[in-house]
Amino acid sequence: MDIPISHFNQEMIVRYLLGELPEKQQVEIEDQAFQDQQYLQNILAVENDLIDEYVRGEIPLNKRQKFESHFLASAERRRKVEFARALSTVASESEVFESVPVSSDAPRFLLNPLRAFIQSLNPAAAFSVATAALILVFGASWLIRDGLRQRSQLSQLRAEQQAQKAQQRQLQEQIANERSRNEELAAEVEQLRKREAPLSLPREDQSSVKPAPTTVALMLLPGLSRGSNQRPKLVIRQAAQTARLQVVVDPQDDYPRFLVELRTQRGQRVWGQENLSARATRIGHTIVLNVPAKVFGSGQYELSLKGTTAAGIIEDVGYYYFEVSKQ
Amino acid sequence: MPASANPNRKWSLTQEAFDGFLGCLADDRERAAEKYLEIRQNLIRFFEWRGCQFPEDHADETVNRVAKRVSEGEEIRNPMAYFIGVARLLVLEILKARAKESQALNEMATSSVEYVDSSDSEARIECLRKCLAGLSSDNRELILQYYQGDKGDKIENRKKLTERLGVSVNTLRMRTLRLREKLQSCVENCVNNIGM
Repeated sequence: MDIPISHFNQEMIVRYLLGELPEKQQVEIEDQAFQDQQYLQNILAVENDLIDEYVRGEIPLNKRQKFESHFLASAERRRKVEFARALSTVASESEVFESVPVSSDAPRFLLNPLRAFIQSLNPAAAFSVATAALILVFGASWLIRDGLRQRSQLSQLRAEQQAQKAQQRQLQEQIANERSRNEELAAEVEQLRKREAPLSLPREDQSSVKPAPTTVALMLLPGLSRGSNQRPKLVIRQAAQTARLQVVVDPQDDYPRFLVELRTQRGQRVWGQENLSARATRIGHTIVLNVPAKVFGSGQYELSLKGTTAAGIIEDVGYYYFEVSKQ
Repeated sequence: MPASANPNRKWSLTQEAFDGFLGCLADDRERAAEKYLEIRQNLIRFFEWRGCQFPEDHADETVNRVAKRVSEGEEIRNPMAYFIGVARLLVLEILKARAKESQALNEMATSSVEYVDSSDSEARIECLRKCLAGLSSDNRELILQYYQGDKGDKIENRKKLTERLGVSVNTLRMRTLRLREKLQSCVENCVNNIGM
């Protein structure tokens, strides 16, 4: 019996095949696949579709990288990709041939008047014309054969060109998305800074009535590059004992555990913590760090965030840059 | 050296152990052999899905480990579940070995494989044409039409095919999956025969 496609979560299977699912879900899929032949066949079909999309350059860039590092790890899988490439070429060739129907009656239609013409000539002239006709036939068949070979090469080139074009389109889209995301984040950071400014930089008259806070806070958002001039700034006054850093994590980075390291601009490690977990908050998934204020001096800092998978593998998640002003 | 698990293993599969192992799969030896091939194929798939570099070697290692346990008197009630359990432990070992390797190589990304197109594509295409010629005309037409076109065109093609053949999308998918497997196996044999 067919399993309706809706009951078979294709997107999840794609994530599974790209090694993006947590261990628990991987186990569930595998257990079902090895108990249910139909489910297994569906996974294999999704696998083929994924390979075909890769060959045609239809996979988005972020998935493409996963595909190459995880999916193509084994020689068997690489052979499957080679096969898909050949199948795509041959299928597009047959598309070309189907669009140009050839009538099998045509040669017979041409041959009959030619035969009648040759029969009407004297033997010497008939021999010459027949020889010329033979040369013409061989020449034409060679040309046709060569034409077919060129057409085959052309369709292969066309398939490759299509794949390249699709990849180029995806890259352009991705660059545009990243650019707009950076602009949004920069605007968000600017807003947050404006909102936080009265709190972290109290005016003279306010500081005279209120005691200086012992904890200062800063929110770090993903996506800002090292060279960005929109870095968030943490102002640490003398009385401050703890700097609370709220690190916002991309929801896709759903690692069970995280670890962070703080480094100066010169790369010197000043602080680190392991076994951290991200919590869902109003602004997204965040990790809260309470860093002793004494580890900071005035200057630029880099916070590296790494995720630990269920299997204990440590993977890079991202880098956050900020500036500290100690007063 | 690639990441591999348990390099100092001493136990090796003997004929007696293999016979005992087949015995736990089915009473009839022929049926047991079939079952063994099916389990091995599934194990290869499992290691492929988990992104391992040497799925066949790992599948054989899993079989060895299970055979060893059977020879030690362990009783297996659900063979596939048991094999997958052993295979999962092996994956953990492989990942640990890979992490160690990676650390030793100064965190170089050893697991990422740079994929380079092989230069044998012309010969593979020729082999595919030969293999296609060996199919019945219905099957040949089916598989070529199923894989024609990009995105929207492809979907439209497939829809037309289901209407023409009077089958569901999923049935069509399974039919082409089997044809594709058959074709791929034919192409691999052909490519190997011409010595690539």
